[in-house]
Amino acid sequence: MSEQDEKPKKNSRRKFLQELGIVGIGSVLGGSAILAGINYDKKKTAGQRVRVLTAENELLEIEKSDTTKVAKTTYENLTYLQKQGRDGLAGKRFVMVIDLSKCRNARKCMAACQNAHHLRPEQHHINVLKMEETENTPAFYMPKPCQHCDNPPCVAVCPVDATFKRPDGIVLIDNERCIGCRFCIAACPYSARVFNWSEPLNAQADKDLTYNVELNVPQRKGTISKCLFSADRLREGKLPYCVGACPNGVYYFGDENEDAVTNGTTKETVRFKKLLEDNGGYTLMPELGTHPRVYYLPAKGKEYPFQDKDKPEALEHLHG
Amino acid sequence: MLRKNIKLKVVFTVLLTALFYLQSAAQQGWDVPADKKVKNSYIKFDAASAKEGEAIYTKNCLSCHGNPTKDNSMKSLKPVPPDLSGAKTQQLTDGELFYILNTGRGLMPSFSNVLSESDRWKTIAYMRSFNSSYVQVLSKTDPTKSKLVKINMDYDSLKSVVRVHVTAAEKNGVVVLKNAEVTLFAARYFGRLQVDKTMRTDNNGMATFGFNKTLPGDKQGYVNMIVKVNDDNYGEIESQSKLKIGVPTDKPSLTEKRAIWNVLAKAPIWLIVLYTTGVLVFGAFLLFILYSLFRIKKSGKN
Amino acid sequence: MLGQSTTDKITSDLLRPIRLTKGFMAWMGFLGVSLVVCLGAYVIQLKDGLVVTGLGDYVSWGMYISNFVFFVATSLIGMLISAVLGLSGAKWASPLARIAEIIALAFAAVAGLVIVSDMGHPERLLNVFIHGRIQSPILWDVTVVTIYVLISALFLYIPLIPDLKICHDKLDKLPPFARNIYKVLSLNWTGSHEQEKIVKQLTRAIAIFIIPVALAIHTVTSWLFASTSRVGWDSTIFGPYFVTGAFVSGSAAVIIAMYFYRKNYKLEDYITLSHFDKMGKLLVLVSLVYLYFNLNEYMVPAYKMKKFDAIHIQSLFAGTHALMFWSIQIFGLVLPIILLVFNKMRKPLPMLIIASFVLVGAWFKRYIIVVPTQEHPFLPIQNVPLNFKVYSPTLIETLVTIAPFILVLLIITILSKVIPIVSIHETIEELEQKNK
Repeated sequence: MSEQDEKPKKNSRRKFLQELGIVGIGSVLGGSAILAGINYDKKKTAGQRVRVLTAENELLEIEKSDTTKVAKTTYENLTYLQKQGRDGLAGKRFVMVIDLSKCRNARKCMAACQNAHHLRPEQHHINVLKMEETENTPAFYMPKPCQHCDNPPCVAVCPVDATFKRPDGIVLIDNERCIGCRFCIAACPYSARVFNWSEPLNAQADKDLTYNVELNVPQRKGTISKCLFSADRLREGKLPYCVGACPNGVYYFGDENEDAVTNGTTKETVRFKKLLEDNGGYTLMPELGTHPRVYYLPAKGKEYPFQDKDKPEALEHLHG
Repeated sequence: MLRKNIKLKVVFTVLLTALFYLQSAAQQGWDVPADKKVKNSYIKFDAASAKEGEAIYTKNCLSCHGNPTKDNSMKSLKPVPPDLSGAKTQQLTDGELFYILNTGRGLMPSFSNVLSESDRWKTIAYMRSFNSSYVQVLSKTDPTKSKLVKINMDYDSLKSVVRVHVTAAEKNGVVVLKNAEVTLFAARYFGRLQVDKTMRTDNNGMATFGFNKTLPGDKQGYVNMIVKVNDDNYGEIESQSKLKIGVPTDKPSLTEKRAIWNVLAKAPIWLIVLYTTGVLVFGAFLLFILYSLFRIKKSGKN
Repeated sequence: MLGQSTTDKITSDLLRPIRLTKGFMAWMGFLGVSLVVCLGAYVIQLKDGLVVTGLGDYVSWGMYISNFVFFVATSLIGMLISAVLGLSGAKWASPLARIAEIIALAFAAVAGLVIVSDMGHPERLLNVFIHGRIQSPILWDVTVVTIYVLISALFLYIPLIPDLKICHDKLDKLPPFARNIYKVLSLNWTGSHEQEKIVKQLTRAIAIFIIPVALAIHTVTSWLFASTSRVGWDSTIFGPYFVTGAFVSGSAAVIIAMYFYRKNYKLEDYITLSHFDKMGKLLVLVSLVYLYFNLNEYMVPAYKMKKFDAIHIQSLFAGTHALMFWSIQIFGLVLPIILLVFNKMRKPLPMLIIASFVLVGAWFKRYIIVVPTQEHPFLPIQNVPLNFKVYSPTLIETLVTIAPFILVLLIITILSKVIPIVSIHETIEELEQKNK
C-alpha cells in the first residue's frame, strides 16, 4: 500500500491498528496478544493490506479483510497499550543519525512532531538549535531530539518508574503514572524534556482518546512529555514523524542490531556503522557517560549557509 | 568568395554558440545516459494519472519547486529549483525527467526509494499536464510479460558473491535475460539496503554481487534478500528469498542488566541491601522504642 | 533536696504559658486567616496547573524546591542541639533542647508538604509507595524525612513524659478531656527509679540514632541536585555543604524562637543571657564552617573557569544574580560572624536582628543554589518564550511558598501552648544535682 493511498485514512488507520492489536485476545490482561484473529470464513476483498505486529514482534502484512475487531472496554484498551508500550519491540535497538551538514533549519521536523504529539508551539520534543561552540568555529543548525541514552540520567532519578527505558532502547514517559516532580527535567543534560504547565493544547478534543504511551497522547496537565522516537510509528514499521517530514535528508533512522539506517527523505538505506565511520559520527557530550542512541554527523561541507540573522542567538549561549 | 566567407563565418559562429551552449548545458544540466533518455512510461498520461500525480507532487516536490506556473519556487536555494511547467523542464524527454527523479543531485533528493515506479510516472504526468503541446509516446513494454520471469539466487561462500540468475519461461522454452538491469537488496526494518552496485546480466542471464558476510541477519543468520530486475522487454520484476548469509544476531535487550536507571526489580544489589538494611534498622529501633514505652507504662501500673 | 517552694516556683513558671490568652487567640486568628489566603492560592494552582507559577521547561524548580531545602535544613538543628550537644555533655544547652526539637519537628513535618506543593499531580503521591524506585534520591528523601519526623516526634515526646504527668496533676483548671489526654500520654508515670532509667536510656539511644538520620536527610536532599550533571550542582561536597549550611539557618531559627519565648512567656530565669551568649558563639562557629564550605564550592570552579562553570560563576559573581549572591554572603554570613564576635552583640535584641538576617539570607541562599543553575543548561535555550529563560516568581507562587511558614508557626505555637517549652522535670533535676 503506498503512502498516498493511506493518507486520507491515516487517522482511521491508526485507530484501526490500535483496535486491531486487541483482536483475538481472550483475556487482555494477560497481554497474550497473538496475531490478529484471522477470520477465514469472511470473504476476502483484495487489495486492502495492513501491517500487524505479533506478540513475537514479527511484522506481518495481511489482508485487512482477514481481521476482525473485538469490542473492548477503554480500560482493557489502556491496559493493552500500556503493556505493549513498556514491552517495546523485541530484538531491536533503535538509533538515529542526524547529518548536520544537511540541516538548513527548515523545521519541518519540529512541526510534524508537534502536530503528531499535540504539543503547544513552545513545547519541543525536537528542537532545531542554532549552535556556535567557540568564537571561531563555524555556526550550524542542530536538531536535538531526546538522546534516548543507554545510561539515562532522567530514568535513574524518576521516583515512580513513570519514565522508563525499553528493551529496544527507547525512553518513554507514562503520563498515567507521572507525579509531576520534574526531577527528570533537572537531570537531563540535553534539556530534552517538556512539562505540561497548563491544560494541553487539545485537551478538549482529546479527552475521549485512550492514552497511548507510545504517542503520549492525550497529553496531560501536570505531567512530563518528551520525544518518543515515534514509538507508535516504529511499531508499524514506519519512520518517526520528524524523520519522515525532513525535506533535506538530515535524518537517518534504523536498528543498530541490523546495522542499517534509512534516510527519512530519500528512503535510502545504508550501513549504520559505515555511515558513522565515513563521516566522523559522534554523540553529544560523551563525557557525561550517558551513551546516547542519537548520533551526529559533523556540519562539514554544509550545503546551506548559516543565516547571519541567526548568529546573535547562536552566540548568546556562548557568552551566557 | 566573399559570400563563402560570410557563410563560413556564420557557420562558425553558430557552431561556437552551439558549443558554448552545450558546454554550459553540460555544467548545469543533467548528464542523462542515452538509454535512459529514451525510456517511456507504461502509464498513460491522462487527467486521472495527472490528478494522482498532483497529490504526490504536493507532498514531495512542492516545498522546493513551488506550484507549477506560479513561479513560487524556493529562491533561496542554489541552484534555484525551476518551475517545472517552464520550457526548460518541458523540453526534456520523459526518460530524462524519470532519470532526474530517480537519481537526484545536490540538493535534489533521489526518489527511487521514496516513490514507486508508477508514482514517479504519475508525477511526470502531472508535470506534463501543464504543457498543451506535449504528445506522449507510450512504452512498448508489455506489463504482462513480467509474469514469465523467474529469478534464482544463491550464495557462493568461496568467492563471497551472491549470484542472481534471471530467466523467462517463454512458450518456445526458457530464455535467459541478457543485459537486464539487476539490483540486489537486503531487507531491513525500515527499508532496503542495496548490496554492491546495480549490475547487468551477462550472456547467461547471470549477475554477480560481491557480498562478504558482515551484515547482521536473524538469530540463525538468515537475511531476506530482494532482487529487482529491470528489463526492456519484460519490465520491472521483483523477487524475495531468505538466504543464510548474515551474521547470526541475537543481542540481549538493553534493559537486561541491573542498573541505577533500570526498574526496581533490576536495581543494583548493593543499593537494595543498603536501602533495606537502613529501613530494617529503623524498624527495629522503632520497635525497641515502642517496647520501652510499654515498659514504662507497665512499670507505672505496678 | 530543694525546698518545696523552689520546685513549685519552677513548675508554675514553666506551666504558666499553658493557658488560652487573648494574645494567643489573636495570633492564631491571624495565622489562620493568612493560611486560608495561601491555601486559596494553592487551590488556583491545583485548578489551573503549575502555569500559575513562574516556572518553565528550563527553570522547572523554583521557590518551592528552594523552600523545601530551607525547611529540611532548618529542621536539622534539633539534632545539633539536643543530640550532639547533649551527648557531649554541654549541659547549658539542655533548656534549649525542647525548643530545638519543636522547631525540628515542625520544619521537618512541613517539608514533606512543601514538596507536595511542587508536584504536578499531588493526588498521585501514593505512586511513590506503589511504584517507588529505590534508585531515585526522591525515594531516599521520602524515607529519611519520614524517619526523621517520627524520630523527632519521639525525641520530643519521651523526655516530655514526666512533664506530661506534672501537667495532668497541676493544670486542674483545664477541662477534663484535656487532662485525660495528658494522663494517657504520661504512661502511668510515677517517677520510679525504673521509669527514670528507661527514659534516660531511651533519650540517649534516640540522641545517638538521630545523628545519622539527620545527616542523611540533608545529605540526601543535597543529592537531589548533586545527582545531576548540571553545572553548579555537580559537586562532591554538596552533602557537607548543605549540612553545615543547615546548622546556620537552624541556629538562627532557635535564637529567634528563644527571643520570643523569653519575652512572651517571661522565661528570663530559664532562657538566660548566658544562653544567648553561647548560642551566639555557636552561630559564629557554624557560620565559619559554612563560610569555609562556600569558599570551596565557589573558589574551585572559579579558578578553573571551565566553559559552563564560567557562565554560571559569572552570573553569580557579576551577572544577573550578583546582587542577591553578594548580599547573602555579606549580610547573611560574613557580617553576622564579625558582629557576633563582640560581646555586646551577643545580647537578646542584637542577636534577634542578626539571626533574622542570617535566616533570611539562608532562605535566599537556597534560592541561589536552586535557580541560577537551571538558567544555564549545556545546550542553548531557544525557540521558547522569554519567561522560560528567566525565572521570576509569581504572586500565587509566593503565597504558596508562604503557606508552609504559617503552618510551621501554627505547629510551634500550638505545641508551645500545650507543653512546657523548657523541661520542668529536667530543670528541677539539674538544680537538685547542683545543690548536692
